Amino acid sequence: MSDVDLRSLRGAMEGFCASTLCTCDEEGLPNASMISQVHWVDEEHVALSYQFFNKTRRNLLATRQACVQLFDPATLAIYRLDLDYVETRTSGALFETMKAKLAGIASHHGLEKVFRLLGADVFRVVAMEQVQAPSARPACRDATLLSAVRACVDDFSRCQDLDDLADAVLDGVVRHLGVSHAILLMAECDGRLFALGSRGYAVSGIGAEILPGEGVIGVAACEGVPIRIGHMSTDYRYGAALGAAARSAGLVAEEPRGVPFPGLGTPHSQIAVPVSAGGRVLGVLFAESDEVMRFDHECEDALVLVAVQLGATMALLQEEDAEEAPAAPVPHVAEGSGVTVRHYSRDDSVFIGHDYLIKGVAGAILWRLLREHAATGRTDFTTRELRLDRSLKLPDHAENLDARLVLLRRRLEERGACLQLVKTGRGLFRLVCRSHITLEDAGEGEAAEVA
Amino acid sequence: MATLPYATPTDDQISWRDSARDSDLLPAHLVAFLQCGVSITLGARGRNGRPVVGAGVACRVSGMANVRVFLSRRTDAAVIDAVEAGSPIAATFSRARDHRSIQLKATRAVIRPTEPDDASEAARQCALLADDLVELGYARGQADVYAFLGAEDLVSLEFRPERIFTQTPGPGAGAELPR
Repeated sequence: MSDVDLRSLRGAMEGFCASTLCTCDEEGLPNASMISQVHWVDEEHVALSYQFFNKTRRNLLATRQACVQLFDPATLAIYRLDLDYVETRTSGALFETMKAKLAGIASHHGLEKVFRLLGADVFRVVAMEQVQAPSARPACRDATLLSAVRACVDDFSRCQDLDDLADAVLDGVVRHLGVSHAILLMAECDGRLFALGSRGYAVSGIGAEILPGEGVIGVAACEGVPIRIGHMSTDYRYGAALGAAARSAGLVAEEPRGVPFPGLGTPHSQIAVPVSAGGRVLGVLFAESDEVMRFDHECEDALVLVAVQLGATMALLQEEDAEEAPAAPVPHVAEGSGVTVRHYSRDDSVFIGHDYLIKGVAGAILWRLLREHAATGRTDFTTRELRLDRSLKLPDHAENLDARLVLLRRRLEERGACLQLVKTGRGLFRLVCRSHITLEDAGEGEAAEVA
Repeated sequence: MATLPYATPTDDQISWRDSARDSDLLPAHLVAFLQCGVSITLGARGRNGRPVVGAGVACRVSGMANVRVFLSRRTDAAVIDAVEAGSPIAATFSRARDHRSIQLKATRAVIRPTEPDDASEAARQCALLADDLVELGYARGQADVYAFLGAEDLVSLEFRPERIFTQTPGPGAGAELPR
């Protein structure tokens, strides 16, 4: 192995242009071809995209050796690597990462219907040669990126709760990392994700839903790895899958309910980074851009560091116990015409009047609070009692409860609803009703007068 | 991007079938393609038995049969060494703007000095490829280096193609074009 660090060749593996490849058959006859993707795996391994069962494939299986040439578009250096075949992966994190990247590359070259990843062929790099020395100096962002990450995490340390933290991470990636469009999503236990907040869009999209495996966000959450695309790809578009899935499941005869996803119409770069703690994916930090190849390996590293710290801080904040509730006056209920809040038990969706508000666990929480308020007049609640409430069917590890409360509070606030959730302390909140509210369980048609 | 007319392997098979040929000569459309400013990937088998990949700078065809690929002695030392040791050769020619790709193979090749007017023809082909790349979104500096514009110390790798394949991406890619 030469003294060149394979990590320093990551720039040549961004997929800017096709790399070239040679294999030989058992008789030693060479085959020269282009390869869409050479993917950096670690300090000793790369993976090549396996798309067709062709001569290259037959040669690889027969002789297990390959030689690739890479071009670094930033430094203009050219490298040649000798590779020994290790294995082919047809599922999992590496496969999904390469599949997403290939979809972007295919779309960029007008080959979306032609290129499909069948496998990720993993190779050990046994020799490395610099064929042409670098002749351009790349924009050196490494130092500023590290400082930007530090600034992001510094902001986290000042956050009192998840609400603050969600704002801090979104503001941080915009201000410190120069991201133009960002969305933070939290994961439900069934793999769906809901937008908790965003920056850079005309509408916030709080409450917008992403299905498991949908787009780079869904895949990043499913696989627990960052997913990055440098070119627009319809394979990873949002929205279409949601409507189709809802209709095929017979959930809705009418247009699918929900909040529209706020993303760019034609993003040219996308990156989704899972936010995890204790081995569980709590959410996804997503960024996109109109620019082609906006997010490189270094950018991914920076966002992963921010997401790791975010996950750890989320877990820490949720371990905090509730404080004593501060005394606060209960707001007067406004006079005037009342409003009906409807609940559909099949997906726990809640409507205020005829307008969709929220669904899922956040919907169940709101319905539970409203019913208790109707029965007892109670307005102050704790997150702890929700966590222990079996009727909410929270998973055993309900550490993402806070995220659902943040989502619910933000949706109510954004809607300017007659109902609001107000934080009254750590782990404490108050249900504020500014109107007469009638509850209606749409399944049973019962109605109860409250407030 | 998607509005560009991309080539298909079927296009290659049709144009191949339609071209009247003498079995020893290459069809005129193929000769024109090889010399039109395409990127050239070379494959050989090194002295140690391992595959070696390289890059051609430009190509000329003499007598409609003998393919001469120019390469840089500096950046393609490994391929030159392999060929001098008796390696067979594979050369894939790809046009950036429509992905049309043809692979030529021969069981032997030789390395010769270039002719006096080869350098100017190589520069012409490199410039054409670089312009194509710029049109596809490369920066000028990237395109010039990728296309080996200005490459010096050229030598000529010469062979008579024995087998020809379409390598254009799509169904049928890799099919042999029978002679």
